[in-house]
Amino acid sequence: MVPQRPLRAALAAIPGVAYILVLLCIVFGAASKGFLSGANILNIGMQSVILLMLALPMTLIILSEGLDISLGAVLTLCSVVLALMLVRGNGLAVALAAAVAAGLAFGLANGLLVSIVKMPPFVATLGTLGIAQGLALAVTDGQSVVGIGAQVEPIYSGSLFGLPIPLAFALGAYALTHWLLYQTRFGGYVFAIGGNREALVLAGVRAHLHHIGIYIFGGFMAGLAALLLTARMNAGHPTAAIGMEFDAIVAVAVGGTSFERGEGWLFGTLLGVLAVGVMRNGLNLLGVPSSLQVVSIGLLVIVALLVDGLKQRP
Amino acid sequence: MIAATPAATPVLELRGISKEFPGVRALDSVSMEIRPGEVHMLLGENGAGKSSLIKVLYGAYAADTGEILCDGGKVAIRSPADARRLGIAVIFQEFSLVPFLSIAQNIFLGREFAGRIPGQIDHPRMHAEASKLLQSLGVAQDTRTKVHKLSVAQQQLVEIAKALSQNARILVMDEPTASLSDQETERLFAVIRRLKHDGVAIVYISHRLAEVFELGDRITVLRDGRKVASLLPSETTPDELVHLMVGRRVDTTYAREFGSRPGELALEAKGLGSDRGISGVNLEVRTGEIVGLAGLVGAGRTEVARAIFGADKVTAGQVWIFGELLTGGPDVRTRRGVALIPENRKEEGLALIRSVQDNLLLASLARLFPRGWFRPAVARRASAERVDELRISTPSLLRLVRYLSGGNQQKTVIGKWLNARCRLFIFDEPTRGIDVGAKAEIFNLIGELVKKGAAVLMISSELSEIVHVCDRAYVMREGHVAGHLKRGELTQANILRLAMHRE
Repeated sequence: MVPQRPLRAALAAIPGVAYILVLLCIVFGAASKGFLSGANILNIGMQSVILLMLALPMTLIILSEGLDISLGAVLTLCSVVLALMLVRGNGLAVALAAAVAAGLAFGLANGLLVSIVKMPPFVATLGTLGIAQGLALAVTDGQSVVGIGAQVEPIYSGSLFGLPIPLAFALGAYALTHWLLYQTRFGGYVFAIGGNREALVLAGVRAHLHHIGIYIFGGFMAGLAALLLTARMNAGHPTAAIGMEFDAIVAVAVGGTSFERGEGWLFGTLLGVLAVGVMRNGLNLLGVPSSLQVVSIGLLVIVALLVDGLKQRP
Repeated sequence: MIAATPAATPVLELRGISKEFPGVRALDSVSMEIRPGEVHMLLGENGAGKSSLIKVLYGAYAADTGEILCDGGKVAIRSPADARRLGIAVIFQEFSLVPFLSIAQNIFLGREFAGRIPGQIDHPRMHAEASKLLQSLGVAQDTRTKVHKLSVAQQQLVEIAKALSQNARILVMDEPTASLSDQETERLFAVIRRLKHDGVAIVYISHRLAEVFELGDRITVLRDGRKVASLLPSETTPDELVHLMVGRRVDTTYAREFGSRPGELALEAKGLGSDRGISGVNLEVRTGEIVGLAGLVGAGRTEVARAIFGADKVTAGQVWIFGELLTGGPDVRTRRGVALIPENRKEEGLALIRSVQDNLLLASLARLFPRGWFRPAVARRASAERVDELRISTPSLLRLVRYLSGGNQQKTVIGKWLNARCRLFIFDEPTRGIDVGAKAEIFNLIGELVKKGAAVLMISSELSEIVHVCDRAYVMREGHVAGHLKRGELTQANILRLAMHRE
């Protein structure tokens, strides 16, 4: 065997997304003074929380060779539901329960369509995307839902033991997803559904139930994220998170999760979310219009996958 | 080495197992005893019934008649789960592993050790148990390694460990050494001997005669779905085994005149290799002759056809077509007159939901309509000619191809290439899925093609077809040409002798 150069081997072991993240920080740090300040870094973290909460379940969904493009619309609908419940004088707990229930219902619908009806995930979730978006517009007449009281807003601005509450949410969501994916049977079956579903079925596992569970988890996280989204705007808005699934899919892909064979890892998604967050924040600081930001996010995916592809060459 | 000590009761006994499919008797009253601690070799050429027998053992097929006894008691195997309960495990050539899970998680997939919290896996215990299993096989490997990082040989050992973790007492192995190196094969044999010592019964399918004598305790030979012999390695020879395997019924009434003089060189492959595992393939086909490409399933015949056709990436050697060195994909080949009639014509040869006419024109649009617009009269004429010439039985040119019989579908594929003025035809299993009566007609058509000056390379798994139809044949084994047989030497036994590994 040819002796491997240790430096080269070590460099190749680092995932492409880590290089990209460092590179982005260097570029934006040089281009804009405020970028590397403590306040801005915290800001990037805060802005990335909601995206992370969609990207985490999206990782599981993509690992199972699926896709859920309805997550942004479902999150929006959940946020509108939460706001409307509060406007009608319900307590926060009841309102949150209603929002999470809406998320779970859409997750269940997606899961049933993909796993039982066996629709292609893109088509199934395209349908539920339309329904969720339409419902959000219908129940609000296309208007923002304001006057939701003062109990929600502190969830975004407040702190818990010195940690901003949104970051605590992010930490909790990451820990929960990590535990599910790597420590439970369900997590193993996520890899198996994407990697070799036949083997799972032959092992006597009711794969279709776990398959549904993956999409339900997506709906659940969208419901929870709705709390943060509503708190941030202190209102419900029927187009608030439209298109956020795009950023979530980008973060998962940039993080090194493949769309085939159940290949991927959760930590990569966290780095991917940060890469998207850094990109958006840095471009904002430089005054780049949001339409061009979308172009850059698109470039980010392509560059990330090229880097990973190049690294795999001998 | 531990000698086989056959116990009094067989662990598994098959009595008069038959299985019929429309038009095919896959298994015909097969009886077989499998004893604990023995390696039972199962031999037979392509289509002899080995796969069907495994499927019956595994519960994928239910036998039509006959009974199965386990430990002397009658049992029913209706599903893979039934087979597992009885301790029967099959290790297929395609493994049932999850690439991005660890070795331990693969071994215990669906039977994970529960942790304290519901749903949680007790990872430490699982890795400990998995390590113990691997050690019992004489393998030292970190069970946290993900399976996609393992070699084929290592993955196979994981499969074996998985079977043993389910208390398998009967291990069926389908050509386990097909893609192993010599060293890996030796290691596998050591594992098998260890299992034998522990009383596991092993049913071993192999096409390598040397293995049969090195490893086997008993041999069962199948032919045409029947058991033709059950014998001990010490009582037989490789030559006898080959003779037992050949001699299948000839189920066509086709007869051809041989001995016409071959014409110009249509195809010449020199040292051809591709990224699909063939290497150093040399062969020639001239106009006016039908050349067979024989070999066992998996020997690389289809891969040779695909490399010649430019459908797979050629990594070595050259392909000369009618005296011209060609590179590039199928588009270049078809323009130079090469036609591939693939094995799975419904996926690769036809557009099933289109009409006979559409399919007949599929490869010749540029030739028939050089100006780029469709001319109905030309289309009708070109397709009607082919329907008459090939005697395609269809009520109309507009009939959808999916409603035609297998034989007429195959003729439509041939017609498609005739319209494209092809002159070198590569047939991959031309009679697969075609009923007996239509087979002779397909061979007659192939005969007419060469009479009119075409060249034919024909892949077939049916030894009798090669012998009855071809002027001469190349025999493949494990990705290379193992030998060439001229008309006078072309017998089933000679083909099988070359096709099987004997060193």
